[in-house]
Amino acid sequence: MSDDSLAWLGTAPIPAAPYHDPAWFELEREAVFRRAWLQIGHVCELPDSGSFIRREIEALNVSLLIVRGRDGEIRAFHNVCTHRGTQLVEEESGRRGTFSCPYHRWSFGTDGALLAAPDFDRFFVDKADCALPRVALDICGGLIFVHLGTPDKGLRDDLGPYATMLDGFPAAQATTFSEYVYEIDANWKLTYDNFQENYHLRFIHPRSGAPAVGEDNPFGYPVKMGFHGPHRTQTIWTNPDPAPQPVQAQSFGRAARFAMADGTAGPHSRDYLALFPNFFILGSPAQPFSHTVWPIDARRSRGVIRLYWKGEDDCASRRYAREYAMASARDIHAEDRDVIEAGQRGLNSGALKHIHFQAQEALCRHLFTAVDERVQAYRADLAGTAPRPVSRAEAMA
Amino acid sequence: MTTLLPTGFDALAPFADRWAIDGSIARAARRGDAAPADRTAFFAAAAPLLDAALAHLDRYPIDALPPAEQRLMDMMLTLAHVSLTEEILGDQEPAHARQRQHMHITRTPAGA
Repeated sequence: MSDDSLAWLGTAPIPAAPYHDPAWFELEREAVFRRAWLQIGHVCELPDSGSFIRREIEALNVSLLIVRGRDGEIRAFHNVCTHRGTQLVEEESGRRGTFSCPYHRWSFGTDGALLAAPDFDRFFVDKADCALPRVALDICGGLIFVHLGTPDKGLRDDLGPYATMLDGFPAAQATTFSEYVYEIDANWKLTYDNFQENYHLRFIHPRSGAPAVGEDNPFGYPVKMGFHGPHRTQTIWTNPDPAPQPVQAQSFGRAARFAMADGTAGPHSRDYLALFPNFFILGSPAQPFSHTVWPIDARRSRGVIRLYWKGEDDCASRRYAREYAMASARDIHAEDRDVIEAGQRGLNSGALKHIHFQAQEALCRHLFTAVDERVQAYRADLAGTAPRPVSRAEAMA
Repeated sequence: MTTLLPTGFDALAPFADRWAIDGSIARAARRGDAAPADRTAFFAAAAPLLDAALAHLDRYPIDALPPAEQRLMDMMLTLAHVSLTEEILGDQEPAHARQRQHMHITRTPAGA
């Protein structure tokens, strides 16, 4: 796509402080992470009535209990007993009919209602007022999102045209997944940005990423980019003359055949969605992965990468294809970590007042712009100034 | 030894004790920890048999493989990891292994 078509994003240098400054991160906690839909799980993790998952959102000091109720509905609650705040659930996942507090045995149903509490007659409150605090939850493309604030839009309205795209991604049909997780000494935006620009591919992934570059496109720049509000997309370029290795070709060939047979090889096999603030997903049928970058503090984050699969392993070939796809994706992601940390160390020094994005790093610029708009609006709210201005991203929506 | 591996895969018998590995985490670790010559020898023996092995194994229920078939399955799953070193990374493997150790596998359909 032409550089001119991205002119609306601007060309100015980007301030460096938001990528390392703890004070800025304190603003982001509320301005960004409490005011956005956050991707937190997948419906396949909650197959039955009483199935639950616990999820920690460290940026907000929040622990969530996400449960499929007896009525089949998936709900999210704060993982906190309404008696005196004790966290109800320690396990990462499981299945229960009720959730009982380990401290004084207050018991809650899968719908969050307080069912029973020992000697409750001596309290000065009604059971109906003691339900678990509910958190907004919505689902798109099989993916579970939560909102820790008061959403001004439903999830699908917020995602706009990308909601329909998500419905067509392989993850929408998934029943299981592979997962690997990494921690990194780097700001969440710096980490995330690495995965939304291709400028680095030929240097950091000279061998593992070779299929993504070629003579016609030595940097492997995307075919196109798109933007909707704070969200963005890109379409990956396809090398017309790839040179896969023998086992690599056999492995991905199997994965592609299974995807065709399963109906997960949809129209978005080269499309990438980057949903604000911290979630990526790729529509590739052979390596249909998602990647969430969770902030821990200003200079530390955690990546959770999942490859979503439709159906259980029903034969040796399918099991093999999934193992290869996971191992291959893990290799590529592993190569990025060191250089991101090196970037963080450089920024932590304070030597730079600004960083620079070129035209093909437009997705990185767009993320910073979306974060900056929210932080500035939040600052204005804190200062009690004039009504919150309509952001550029919102005006475009 | 006759039941160590299915008929037709005897060439892999010398590698079975080290490369028939249960669990994705252990398979990934063995790839990084193995002596390079041993890893290369396993790849040279196993890669040409990948198609034949999966064709044979596909005849059995995946969750009820006989012991010899299970051993062969585990070797092919380890091959998936090893092939990335042998086919893609080459001499980048030592540096790459240090970076991979930060990517913690938590769940796979084959059993983490």
